[in-house]
Amino acid sequence: MGKTQKVTSTGKVINKKPLKTRIWNNRGFYLMFLPIFIYVLIIFYWPMLGIRYSFYDYTLKKIQFVGFKHFEKMFSDAEFWRAFVNTLELSITKLLITTFTAVIVSVFINEMTNLFAKKVLQTVIYLPHFMSWTVTAAVFTLFLSTSSTGFINETLKSWGLITQSIDFMHDTKLWRGVYYVVNIWKETGWGTVIFLATLAGINPELYEAADIDGATRLQKIWYVTVPELANTIIIVLILNLAKVLNLFESVFVMYNNRVFEVSDVISTYIYRKTFLTAIPNYGYTTAVGLFKSLVGCFLVVVCNRASKKIRGRGII
Amino acid sequence: MKKKLLSILLSATMAISLTACGGSNNNSESTTSNDTTEAASETEAAASTEESGETAEAETQESGSETSDYELTDLYITVDGTLTANVDNGQDAFVEQWQNAVSEKLGHSVTLHINQPEHSGYKDNVAQLLTTGEPGDGQYPDALIMSATMLKQYQTTGILWNMADAYANAEFQSRITLPLINENMKTASGELYGFAPTYGNGCVTYVKQSWLDEAGITADSIKTFDDYYNMLKAFTKDGKTGVIAAGFGKFDEAPYINYMPEFWQGAYPAIYQKDGKWIDGFQEQATVDALARLAQGYADGVIDTDTEEASTKTAREKWFSNDQSTSEGVFTYWAGTWLRTLTDNLDKNDVDTDLGDDRLVQLAPIQEIKDTWGGYLNREAPVWVITDDGDGDNSREQAIFDALLETMLDGDKVQTLWTYGAEDVHWSTKAEEFVLNADDPEKKAEYSYADGEFHLKQSPNDANTLWKKNLLDPVLVIAPLTNGFVDTDPLVEKGNKFFTENCVDAPSAASSETLTEVEADLATDKTTLVNEVVAGKKTPEDAIAEYQSKWADTIDQILEELNSAE
Repeated sequence: MGKTQKVTSTGKVINKKPLKTRIWNNRGFYLMFLPIFIYVLIIFYWPMLGIRYSFYDYTLKKIQFVGFKHFEKMFSDAEFWRAFVNTLELSITKLLITTFTAVIVSVFINEMTNLFAKKVLQTVIYLPHFMSWTVTAAVFTLFLSTSSTGFINETLKSWGLITQSIDFMHDTKLWRGVYYVVNIWKETGWGTVIFLATLAGINPELYEAADIDGATRLQKIWYVTVPELANTIIIVLILNLAKVLNLFESVFVMYNNRVFEVSDVISTYIYRKTFLTAIPNYGYTTAVGLFKSLVGCFLVVVCNRASKKIRGRGII
Repeated sequence: MKKKLLSILLSATMAISLTACGGSNNNSESTTSNDTTEAASETEAAASTEESGETAEAETQESGSETSDYELTDLYITVDGTLTANVDNGQDAFVEQWQNAVSEKLGHSVTLHINQPEHSGYKDNVAQLLTTGEPGDGQYPDALIMSATMLKQYQTTGILWNMADAYANAEFQSRITLPLINENMKTASGELYGFAPTYGNGCVTYVKQSWLDEAGITADSIKTFDDYYNMLKAFTKDGKTGVIAAGFGKFDEAPYINYMPEFWQGAYPAIYQKDGKWIDGFQEQATVDALARLAQGYADGVIDTDTEEASTKTAREKWFSNDQSTSEGVFTYWAGTWLRTLTDNLDKNDVDTDLGDDRLVQLAPIQEIKDTWGGYLNREAPVWVITDDGDGDNSREQAIFDALLETMLDGDKVQTLWTYGAEDVHWSTKAEEFVLNADDPEKKAEYSYADGEFHLKQSPNDANTLWKKNLLDPVLVIAPLTNGFVDTDPLVEKGNKFFTENCVDAPSAASSETLTEVEADLATDKTTLVNEVVAGKKTPEDAIAEYQSKWADTIDQILEELNSAE
């Protein structure tokens, strides 16, 4: 009676033994798994106990339970909501722009017939990905500077297009544009890798059929290449959508207090409240971090479902 | 059976490898920890002390604190960049000589551990140390340097020790020449949480003599803001600019306005006491007027655009850089020793070599500053504080005071260490000869000293520069050295004399619970608004109105707290 039976799709009956028996029978594998299990617990889950501090005041010589005080403060803080909205806007726009730029560049590279030029171009556009964000920001800040060392402003002036320097990095109307351009410059090349791999896998017979039908080059791109890429584009978007709240380094190295209004994101908000406050309260910033993690988890679940629907399997 | 044996072997191998990884991780962690401590404490003499030994010593300290004959064996201090004998500049010798001298005085050995975080991030680093650690942890400071603003923020938190009694009974009391410096820092109820071994010092406006000559202007003729502004205009041409500073105002560091005093004049954009009442200076008309002047200066191009985001380091480096074609004529910076440092840096970069020590002119405060403040602002002095372990027993804290602060002003060996650095590394009394810039005929300088003659040596990290001082400025110290060791640099003396004759004390920094909580956000918002006004994005009136709409209630609460406490 204690045994349960499981029937496979071929009608074969499997006798399912009690858990204890199964563990004992597979004790070697469980023993092998044990160190990993302990490792995961210690490295990944034990630090998560720190989450409890979001319900505490954690400041100088004081760790005191305060319930949901920090969450109330967070939800009533206009700066927090500004950072939250900015995170979504910046992240999603950046994702869309860099993905579609990568698609366009991939299609162009795919159309190149000179193999040497193709390889050179691929290498050249990959390189910026390997530059650190700190260096990238420093280079672009110099490049766009309003001082006499600012190449863009000096060039525009010398061409007579402007008389006064444009303060790209400090203007709320321009900062996001600059941010997206820098992201395109840095990440488009790397983003083409997956699309070029997909393009390489397109059945050549489709192009041959299109040739027979008398399709022009543009028509082949539009009616063969793009539809073949569509699935990959959606997958890339979904996979990245789960990470939209993880925006820090690229913003941190480029923003300044004059453009907080359009650039401050949740991670930079947490950073400032934790490390640039006279006497920080870790409880509050832990609460903000916890909220960010919960929203992140929710997005992962949503994307997982979307992924299951679209490609038949999830991302987790 | 084979499978089982294999799985047992595999799991055993994995367990061992993980243990080994764990072991190596532990090792690397402890190594890193030691390295960090070492780096942080800047080649401490006792870096080889094993962790177990340190723990045992810490335990000894804890248990010792319950008895009156507490013996301090390890002293952990955190200092900012003002301790110039840093890890690259002979700190190991300083630590070794300090340990020997203090051990001799106390009759038992004390190991000194110095943690010297990066200067610009010092305040934030201290906040992390004090929030996450506790007395007895290796990195938690027994004593540390704080600015006056930091002292005001921390002195109400209970983590600092009230050293009023220790200070009153200190041996150096009989030699103090400036008693008011520390007396004025006491709270209304007579508690003293910080000890200032020197007075605060402040900034004066330096102008490059060659730029004045080129513009046909004499420093004596600069008497009013209009004169000053016209001078900046005359300097601003062909890529050159009138003035640079580290920000238009420094709203997180009192006295906030001292890097651009001519533009701020009588404004004080912070909470301060006026006619016995705490008020918010940022909302005063004087601030609106100052913002208008700054905006005008920026629009006219006389203020370098790099000012907005420059740190003090980047601002001064641009000012004395080798490339003077994109530099500035005016720079307001610290008085006294900095006059020598700025002059030497110009010299190092081959700027105005022919003018020697007359490269820089110290500008007297303009009339508008004299009419409002009375002169340049002498900031509240930075202080040493001692952390309180909260056990209700003063033995540990008194022992720290005795080992660190009492000896710091002993007038003799230890004070010399804090003033000039380590003997025969930073200074010496032995006969010697040396040459600076031997390869450069224009800059070559020969020095010759007889036996017994006190003199400063070449900097440990730069043989072409003469060492200047360590932490304590001999001219600013409240109890002078008694051993007769004096570095007589006429230029530094001139700088100190000029500042002393032209300064007034800055307003006291405010401190209240609410202010401490919001101070960083306030500073950020003020910086943003000021930057926007200066860049022409907002009018001064709009900026102040925006500030009021966001902060009025909080400011009222802070003022209420401050005024009711008076």
